[in-house]
Amino acid sequence: MRRTIDIYLRLISVQIRSQMQYRASFLMSLSATALITFLGFGSLAMVFWRFDNIGGWTLWEVGFLYGMVEAAFGTMDLFFSGFNPHIFSRLIRMGTLDQILLRPLSVTLQVLGSSFIMKRLSRISQGALIFVISVAMLDVHWTPAKVAYLPLVFFGLMCFFGGFFVIGSTLTFWTVQPIEVVNIFTYGGREMIAYPMHIYERWMRDFFTYIVPAIFLNYYPALYFLEKPDPFGMPDFAPFLAPVVGVGMLVASFAFWSYGIRHYQSTAT
Amino acid sequence: MSRFARRIRLFVELSRVSFRRQLAYRTANLAGLATNTFFGLLRAAVMVALYGARQEVVGMSVRDAITYTGITQAVIAYLSVFGWTELMDTVYTGDISSDLLKPMDYFTFWMARDLGRALASMLMRGLTVMLIYALVFDITVPVGAWQWAALLASLLMGWLVSFSWRFLVNLAAFWTPNALGISRLIFATSWLMSGFMMPLRFFPDWFVGICYLTPFPAMINTVVEVYVGVLDAQGVITALAAQAMWAAGLIWVSQVVLRAGIRKLVIQGG
Repeated sequence: MRRTIDIYLRLISVQIRSQMQYRASFLMSLSATALITFLGFGSLAMVFWRFDNIGGWTLWEVGFLYGMVEAAFGTMDLFFSGFNPHIFSRLIRMGTLDQILLRPLSVTLQVLGSSFIMKRLSRISQGALIFVISVAMLDVHWTPAKVAYLPLVFFGLMCFFGGFFVIGSTLTFWTVQPIEVVNIFTYGGREMIAYPMHIYERWMRDFFTYIVPAIFLNYYPALYFLEKPDPFGMPDFAPFLAPVVGVGMLVASFAFWSYGIRHYQSTAT
Repeated sequence: MSRFARRIRLFVELSRVSFRRQLAYRTANLAGLATNTFFGLLRAAVMVALYGARQEVVGMSVRDAITYTGITQAVIAYLSVFGWTELMDTVYTGDISSDLLKPMDYFTFWMARDLGRALASMLMRGLTVMLIYALVFDITVPVGAWQWAALLASLLMGWLVSFSWRFLVNLAAFWTPNALGISRLIFATSWLMSGFMMPLRFFPDWFVGICYLTPFPAMINTVVEVYVGVLDAQGVITALAAQAMWAAGLIWVSQVVLRAGIRKLVIQGG
């Protein structure tokens, strides 16, 4: 275990050092990403004075959802950089994965250490900023249980989206090119749960409740934190499913991943 | 054949090749269409939730607002809204050297290729998105030959402004190895100021005023306003004229910058 962590840290530090070599380029990407994250919520905030609520929620209540999912997705995007299907599929196309398989080290560990995209930091900090400002404006009624549960929701979100990255990458064992439709679940899912789920059409919400249970990761926890009534009459434990659903998703996706590795046939490049 | 006719012929051929190449990416086009439609549905839901019981906000009805989310998704591929780096890529790979040797004006060469790409995208990912919207929602449709003609002109002009702007941004690669970072920053700015994130008329007046000092509204917002019919006849003519002026201005500036850039250019790679 100690050795594994040591190797992982070494792989990551190589990544960090190499990205820091191009400082101007790094700072530029950082500000571009920060701007992009700000734009989504910023443009909503800028039109809010004409509308004053969205499906009955205030701007800061939406900010609670928005900031949480942005920060968690960003953190996932940083740690799972190597499993980003666009980055991972390059390992397959270039034949780098064949080298990885030959090394006497866990394949998963090597893929995790193969990329660490530092510019995601700006997404994380922007999300955290939106979250902190929203919480400050909202006057949330904090209890010890809520304080303890908050990091678990964050962790659940990370695992959930990480799972989609792993599935998207595993699919490229067969397709070589990344399957773009996976983006609907990752980036589309992120966008979707950044808003209160009751604003969507029934069929869309049902899909993201029963087939892809994204509703439990952000919306239900938010109902609990903000002490809002549940419009759908789910059981009382619904807000506490976030870590279970998230971890379950990640475990299932890693099972698919090891199945994929066993059936991997090189592209012979 | 006169020299002029030959030039036109070359332009059309280049566009046609580029049009076919874009159509050939069938799975990519389909995946793009699915993504655009999904995001469109999300954004339409956000609009409906924002409107609530309101019938109209600054001249736009809920129906117009839903249609707006369709239009913005429909122009993503057409105008390469998320970014376009084809030209700067050729600078960094060195391929630009052979493009510059071609017996054709460099700006016109890219314009022909981008027109083909844009038209194919409009067909595969623009009209299709609007068709799906028409099936799912009760959308606004332009009325009468006059409004359709204005929309067509506005769409074409929007592309011309967008293309010459993208061309100009890509020219940054002649001077700096960081053109990619610069272009990302500029594209992100354009999402907000072109009316891609929200219709500009929803924003506070002072901010709209700033936006209209840039070419960005001429790319998307004008098309939206002509389409949903929030402008009167006078307003439409003024808007189209503004688009034409931005197009002319940007084409002129890119010629000047191109001439300066070619003198500066260091061909990389080999």
